[in-house]
Amino acid sequence: MPTEREFQVAPIVPESVMHNTKALSNLQSLTASIFGVAAGILGLESYNGFLFYFVFTLLTTVLFYAFRVAPTSLKSGLGMFDTSRYYRTQYEFWTGGIFGGLAGYILTWTLFYGLIRA
Amino acid sequence: MTWISKSTSALGLLLFTHACYSAHEHSALQAHRAASLSSLTTSHGGVGVISSLPLDIAIETIVATFVITFGLVLGTAKLRPIQWRVWAGQIEREGEEGFKNSSGEVDRDYVGNPFKLLESRPGFVDIRRQRQEFAEWVKGQ
Repeated sequence: MPTEREFQVAPIVPESVMHNTKALSNLQSLTASIFGVAAGILGLESYNGFLFYFVFTLLTTVLFYAFRVAPTSLKSGLGMFDTSRYYRTQYEFWTGGIFGGLAGYILTWTLFYGLIRA
Repeated sequence: MTWISKSTSALGLLLFTHACYSAHEHSALQAHRAASLSSLTTSHGGVGVISSLPLDIAIETIVATFVITFGLVLGTAKLRPIQWRVWAGQIEREGEEGFKNSSGEVDRDYVGNPFKLLESRPGFVDIRRQRQEFAEWVKGQ
């Protein structure tokens, strides 16, 4: 965790942090509903459904990394899977949005499960 | 969103709708068949026996999910560097170019050069010349 002194030396732009976080969380809540529909169509039940969600959310994040973060951050000399150019912590990027979309996922999952197997 | 992201998402949604409809038809057909079979044989087999989803529908669903996700990821906004020096450097180098959203307009919250205050300064006012000009104008009236 950076100290106060480091923030003074290398200041951070709060608007950019908000913009980036919003971009990622918008994407994740949108795709979560899509994954819910898919899980409903596939008829997944119990743990399989949650496993499906976690796998696909991680995949979305990896895709997002590959298309939005990687091209510029690799060019600027950062290592592979290093998101420090756009996000404050690695943790925030890779796991921050997982639980945000879970409610929407369960909503559409149960809805489509019920619709298709009525 | 650019056209490529839009068309990819649209293709994915089309596949998705088709998979959803197919799955619904499949389950309706299975339920109907089970009901007619049980009425024929009057056996007490479970009416709600639903065999698992056909493989092609499952594959179509997974592929459609991938395609939609891909389209949505392509449609996300460009990220901005969070470190002040990187961010300001990008503005200096690229100007508005780096802060366009995917439909080609400059983002509303684009603030411009953060060092604008330092780079432009109003010159000193030459008060003597202005006073002289005014005096001449008054004389001319």
